[in-house]
Amino acid sequence: MPPDDPEDVDPGLAAERTRLAWLRTAIAFAAVGGAALRDDVVIGLVMLTAAPAIWVLGHFVSRSVRPAQRSGHLLLVTVAVTVIALLALLGALLGHSPASLRDVLPLHG
Amino acid sequence: MTAPPATMDGPERTDCGGATSGDGQHQDPDAGTEPDARFTLANERTFLAWNRTALALVVAGLGIIQLLPPFPGVRYGRHLLGIPLIILGAAVSVTSYWEWRRTQAALRRREPLPRSVLPVVLATSITGIGALSAVVVLISAVR
Repeated sequence: MPPDDPEDVDPGLAAERTRLAWLRTAIAFAAVGGAALRDDVVIGLVMLTAAPAIWVLGHFVSRSVRPAQRSGHLLLVTVAVTVIALLALLGALLGHSPASLRDVLPLHG
Repeated sequence: MTAPPATMDGPERTDCGGATSGDGQHQDPDAGTEPDARFTLANERTFLAWNRTALALVVAGLGIIQLLPPFPGVRYGRHLLGIPLIILGAAVSVTSYWEWRRTQAALRRREPLPRSVLPVVLATSITGIGALSAVVVLISAVR
């Protein structure tokens, strides 16, 4: 009789799904950064750096031994999303950020 | 067939016995014993999925404000729709972290999992914002 759950044979599947979930989340951060890039280059670039950071964070979480450690790492994801939401809110209320790269460098187009 | 959880040995239970005062939610994440790794991973994936949802809400709000042409006759109509979406995104992210902790604590104590408030929060907020956008579109169509 085959097992009910394939993971009983290969528990690595759950770990792989989780790795993929971290990757999807990192890509979501990259997408937000790309969208913000249109509006403000500096904020967009800062958000884009969050994407590889989240991906690396996923690797740290998978290796964290103490539960409190994992809890602290996951908090960083929420902090990142909250910061992005605050930046979006500021951008929405103020129009463009005053510290835009466009004001600093003579960029055209 | 092989139920992964529920290895309740005596010494493990005594470990969390002293800490079960109060609501059992905002306590030391090290309390209890490590659950089956698959449960920890599933809880983590749920948290990540909610955070992608949160990011999608923020981007949707930002897109409404920055990319949509203004609604004729409704001043700040785009802000009226976009800002609640952005705030909802932040709220979903913070709540998902709180629920991740709560679920992880319940898993460690071999207790029944707490019910998530996020589906209700998300459904009511999106219904509200949907109704609001219908009103904004109707007003701008009439004028």
